[in-house]
Amino acid sequence: MRAAGGLVQSNASVEPIMSRLDYEQTALHHSCLLVLLRGVGPSRARVLQRAFEKVRRVNNIKVTDSSGTVRTVYFRFIHDHPVEHNDWGDFQTHRRLLGLITIGKFENQTELNELCRHHESLKVRYGSTLYESRAIFFGPDTHTSNANAKGDAQPALQTIGENVANTDQSCTEKKSQLSGRLQDEFTTPSNFKSQAFFYREQDIGMDLEARVEDFLNALFWVLESRRLERSREKADKVSLLLAPFEKRDFVGLDMESRNNRKRCVGRVMKNLADLSLQAGLLEDALSLYHNANETLRSVGDSLWVGATEEGLCAASAVILYPQMREIEVLHRNASLQETGASQLRTTPEKWRASDATKKINANACTVTTTAGSLNCTDAFTTHSSSCSSVSSILTNNSSASGTPTTSTSSSSTSTISVAQYGHRNGELPGNIIKPEDITNYYRKAIINYSKYRHAATIETEAALKASRICIEQNRPLDVAMFLQNILYINLSMSESDRVKRFEVITELYQQIGYQRKAAFFQRLAALKHVQQGTQTPDWTQSYRLMLGSFTGYLLSLDPLEVLENAAGWPALQIDLVQSLISAARRLGFSALATRHMTFLLQTQWDNMSATEQSEMAVQLQNLSAQCEGSPVPLVLENGTVIPPANLTDLPYLTHFAVRDLPAHLRPQRIKIAKADSGPFLFTPIHFNSVDRRDKKKEKNKIDFLWVQNDLCEVCLTLRNPLPFELAVTDMRLLTNGVVFESVPQSVVLQPNVPTQVSLHGTPIETGQLDLQGYSTHTLGVKSNCRLKHMRGRNFPPNYLVDVIPGLPSISIKTSLPQSASFSNMNSADLVVTSASLTLYNGESSSCIITIRNESNTIPLEHLEVYINSNVEQETQRKMFQINEQALVTQLPVPPLSTIEFELVIYADADFVCPLPTDSINSFGPVTSQEYGSCSLSQYSNISSQSASLPSRVSSPQYRRQDNINVRSKISGTQYSMNTLSLQTNGVGVSSNAGSGVHSAQNSQHVEAQLRIKFSGGEALAEGFCRQCAVSFNLELLPSAMITGWDVLPAEIPSQFYLVLDISNLTAQEMSLNYTDNKNILIEAKESCRVPIPVDRCSLEQICVARAAEVAENLERELCFRTQILSFNDALSKLCSTHIADRVKINWLLTGTDIKGIASVRGIVLSHGMVNLTTISPLQWAISFRDIVVQPHCELMCIVGQSAKLTISLTNQSLQPLKHLVLTIKFYQDYLNGIENYNLETRVAISGPNRITIPILEKYEQLDHNCSVIFFTPGRFKANIECATRPQESDSILTRSCPEATNLSQLGKMSSPPANLNTVSSSGLDEHQAHIWKFIPPIEVTVVEP
Amino acid sequence: MAFCIAVIGKDNAPLYLATSDVERELDLQYHVHAALDVVEEKCVIGKGAPESKELYLGQLFSTENHKIYGFVTNSKIKFIVVIDSSNIALRENEVRAIFRNLHMLYTDAVCNPFYIPGEQLTFKKFDRAVQKLMSGNV
Repeated sequence: MRAAGGLVQSNASVEPIMSRLDYEQTALHHSCLLVLLRGVGPSRARVLQRAFEKVRRVNNIKVTDSSGTVRTVYFRFIHDHPVEHNDWGDFQTHRRLLGLITIGKFENQTELNELCRHHESLKVRYGSTLYESRAIFFGPDTHTSNANAKGDAQPALQTIGENVANTDQSCTEKKSQLSGRLQDEFTTPSNFKSQAFFYREQDIGMDLEARVEDFLNALFWVLESRRLERSREKADKVSLLLAPFEKRDFVGLDMESRNNRKRCVGRVMKNLADLSLQAGLLEDALSLYHNANETLRSVGDSLWVGATEEGLCAASAVILYPQMREIEVLHRNASLQETGASQLRTTPEKWRASDATKKINANACTVTTTAGSLNCTDAFTTHSSSCSSVSSILTNNSSASGTPTTSTSSSSTSTISVAQYGHRNGELPGNIIKPEDITNYYRKAIINYSKYRHAATIETEAALKASRICIEQNRPLDVAMFLQNILYINLSMSESDRVKRFEVITELYQQIGYQRKAAFFQRLAALKHVQQGTQTPDWTQSYRLMLGSFTGYLLSLDPLEVLENAAGWPALQIDLVQSLISAARRLGFSALATRHMTFLLQTQWDNMSATEQSEMAVQLQNLSAQCEGSPVPLVLENGTVIPPANLTDLPYLTHFAVRDLPAHLRPQRIKIAKADSGPFLFTPIHFNSVDRRDKKKEKNKIDFLWVQNDLCEVCLTLRNPLPFELAVTDMRLLTNGVVFESVPQSVVLQPNVPTQVSLHGTPIETGQLDLQGYSTHTLGVKSNCRLKHMRGRNFPPNYLVDVIPGLPSISIKTSLPQSASFSNMNSADLVVTSASLTLYNGESSSCIITIRNESNTIPLEHLEVYINSNVEQETQRKMFQINEQALVTQLPVPPLSTIEFELVIYADADFVCPLPTDSINSFGPVTSQEYGSCSLSQYSNISSQSASLPSRVSSPQYRRQDNINVRSKISGTQYSMNTLSLQTNGVGVSSNAGSGVHSAQNSQHVEAQLRIKFSGGEALAEGFCRQCAVSFNLELLPSAMITGWDVLPAEIPSQFYLVLDISNLTAQEMSLNYTDNKNILIEAKESCRVPIPVDRCSLEQICVARAAEVAENLERELCFRTQILSFNDALSKLCSTHIADRVKINWLLTGTDIKGIASVRGIVLSHGMVNLTTISPLQWAISFRDIVVQPHCELMCIVGQSAKLTISLTNQSLQPLKHLVLTIKFYQDYLNGIENYNLETRVAISGPNRITIPILEKYEQLDHNCSVIFFTPGRFKANIECATRPQESDSILTRSCPEATNLSQLGKMSSPPANLNTVSSSGLDEHQAHIWKFIPPIEVTVVEP
Repeated sequence: MAFCIAVIGKDNAPLYLATSDVERELDLQYHVHAALDVVEEKCVIGKGAPESKELYLGQLFSTENHKIYGFVTNSKIKFIVVIDSSNIALRENEVRAIFRNLHMLYTDAVCNPFYIPGEQLTFKKFDRAVQKLMSGNV
């Protein structure tokens, strides 16, 4: 009665429509007792947060009622409650505020008084419905209180009789005392009637929960008493309960009519049902609702019928979905942890709004959905099948692009709910509404409410509650239906409420996974915030909501993710981002605007037309003028991180090439480790696929090296897709791994023209450098363009380059002038400088090479110099000489200092007359394979020709052969035509050109590279070096040329004469010094013949040569014939070398100081010549008439007198000589080529003229004496020779006979013809016949007595 | 007759969109986009249904100005038609007819051998036909 009276009073003053919607309400709140939990005083939210949590945690109590059953009573704590909502308390009792708890903190008495005043004023405000109130006060900390109240605390303690010593640290144990003291210290004002609890700030009382529980208990019992009161009311006595707006409707109506009585009863019954529901008597509530529903329906009281229907739903939901409450608790804890997220709302609102029921984060969303699905499937069955439904809802979540991280929490929640549900399952009341009917009941209720304009709030709330239940039941279509319906409710509300409504709808759509719908309404809300006509456009909220709607449009804050997905609705995405940009601009967040614009350009580039692209680019330029964009994440106030956006494709990279260092700076291995590739040099077969896979994996691995502290280069090809000039500044390489110093580069790109850009940088450390892309600064935005983010161009994600320790760098100077043209030799790129030089053949020169260590820190510790040229190795060795020892002693070279060394260059050339052209031609195609047969024919040729002595034709041919032999030794078996032709280009040039003796030779060009490998510092330890080269361009001019040669015996047996035809091919007069003291002048282009005495080739050498030859032949198991030829070959070679070693012809160009040495290397000796050049094993000592015969001495004898001839033979060889025959034969030389041996009538010899010597031991001497009588005067000659007994009848060895014409010029040598030669192969071969002659023959002049 | 006709691909990206009012195109696009949730929901529910599945999804949702109808082909191509709410004369059968015609037009269009499934529909003939369909004089 009283309550009704109060209601009537309040009705008069209050607007009948509820001013604010409670968007957070759920069906379960029907069963809760409403308690206002309010912070009072100056806001110290953070300090009191724990206290709030503690209080809130006590949201239900278990009460044992008089009948002994345990009832669970639930409480709902709210932060704010409009007073007018209490007016609806008769309509729905849960709207009435029953309790009040204030929490406040004070520092001093004044503040405490203020807190108390607040509390009292709240009490007054809600006085009409309030049952009970409590205040919780937190006093100052112990420190301050001690400081403040030291003076009076001390005596207080004294009086209490406490131990003084413990006071400082005794807070915890003596909490009661302390709090007691707090109460003592500070007194509440007299008008403060409520019960207050005092706590120290740092120790929230353990008994706080208990006290709150007490308070809640008190509330319950008051409620219970009200319920009992109501239930005991007589049916005919009840007054009409009214909804606030109904007051006018019933004015002047007959309240006593039957219909109205029924209406009264029905309404009271409904009221009682509400109270029962709140008091935890669910079954009672259900039946009462049913009854009330029937009663009211019969009188057509639609509004209250709707209320009963809603009540039925609520009561059923309380029974069916108790987990909805659990989730709330769970969520509350979650939100506690995420205080940062809840800061999303501005701080004043935080105090007002009941954040206890806020479900902002996706976490709670999924939890709710999960639980809903459980209910749907398991409503009346066992809870065993819950797993499947959990999994199904999980997939549902992922398909709705919810946050998958919540899967664990959702599963854990489901188990809780299932357990509880199973417990409840057995005791379902019979009159409960089935889950599938709840929706229908709600629909009916809403239809009933909708009949009343003033019940719009109730209707909206009912729709929200219904949709929450549907979420619980996992019926998204119904949710959508209810939410859609909300929009139709014509409710006059403020714009902010309208926005709020959109946000709630958004949130609910999100819960059912309707991301698009959610995004739609979120965007609407965002637009509402700033729509035209709004006095205070809230761009912050608008921005926040727009950002929130990103997921619905399949956008992500991370541009990379967006690009990856490449899904969604481009037109909408572009529009949304553009709105976001304008919001950010309005907010003044230029950085954000720039970022979003960059994001737009990066992600939607392909979806924009060309004009849009350029428009956006210009916009970006304008935006970035205010705030430059940079690739760092931006953090919003609410903690949202906006990842960086980069203009990856602006400019568009088409080509990315990592450049090797220039050749002369390129690091190399000092020693190339020989790769163990098995017996095969190359195999096309891959034995396992591992190799290939490795190759693939290392695709991005660069196979060359970069050097620490050396400038490196990467080449890019960029294209500007915009129609205007694009200035890209500050381009740098983006790297990972070792420290890399990038050199910025700027470039202006013309529209649509590919432009090459080189980016440079210096690695500072050694190790692996990871090239990831480059950074740009264009359109006012700094971007990091990484290769891995560039799509459609097949770039590897990065390039890996190994950086090795720093190597020194050097500069090289030569004392020679630089050559005009660089060489075309291979690896010409190594060349750093060049030198050119012109020399006559045989001339020597030197070149000083200066090496400067250019590096600032690294000493030059390793230096290796070698020559690489287009001439043969052997020639090269002669031509270029470096004193490497001297070079090494100069090491190390400290930084920035120099060393010098000398390179001696000798113009080595063939001085021996080259081949005639025809034989070259025939020679051309000879390859090594053909060598055998060819040489055979050559040799046979020589042996057959041997009688006719070395002709110019045959000897050079032989020489060429020889050359080939040498070459083939050098380069093994792989002698191909290519190399042959190459050689003819080199040395052979001269021979090619100078076909004739007198034809002028062309100059010969030699290209050589002096290659220098150098290293130092750490790189040396790791085995790296650098290589550079100096290119030498030598021009060799012909000087002297030997056009022919022969061998003649000399006056003494230990020597022979080498006769040379020498031509002067220079244009100047040449002075030729051919022995120690003999000089000859040769006019330009003239030739002359010079004899040069040469020591014979010693026997020992021959022996060694032969032995080696034999051994070699035996080894090769070659046939006898080859053996001989090889022997001859070797012998000839030996003799040739012998001569070349001894004969040096110095030439000097008269009038200049150009001089040189011509060598006779390369002359070829025929067999006969060979015999002349070697020393015979027999030493002759002949005396005639006791006079020792000297060469060319005059021996006289008288006719008829006997003259004694003594011949003594000594074996000088190392082996005994066997089967020797000594022959003495006199003859007359007519000096016209006729020799007369028939001297039987003119001379007689006593004793045999053939003496057989079976064996002549080593160093043994044998004497033979005989007498000679000449019968006629005249000049006689004696041919004394010693022959091994010929095995064959015909010796293959015959005497050589030089051409008379040639030799006739040689004055004194003309008289003894060449047939005096000792024809001998001077070997010890028994198979061969040898003849050793005494030369020159004895010449006796017989005179008349 | 119809405000907007949209053809939406499997991955919910628009393949074709025609509106009678270019100025409101973006707004309509937002509506069509929001309607996709319901389409998907209805498709999921239709899962496991017999062969003779109804392609016509009926009204997806309505606002003060628009009624939005949906249709999904067997290859999960969605057709959305936005119709003026005030046009009460328009019967649901007519909406069905629009969808049937649209389906045929679409089938003809994708039969083009030069069309790659998943690409935007840019055929002029198709566009003309849809515009005609939209204006109601088929």
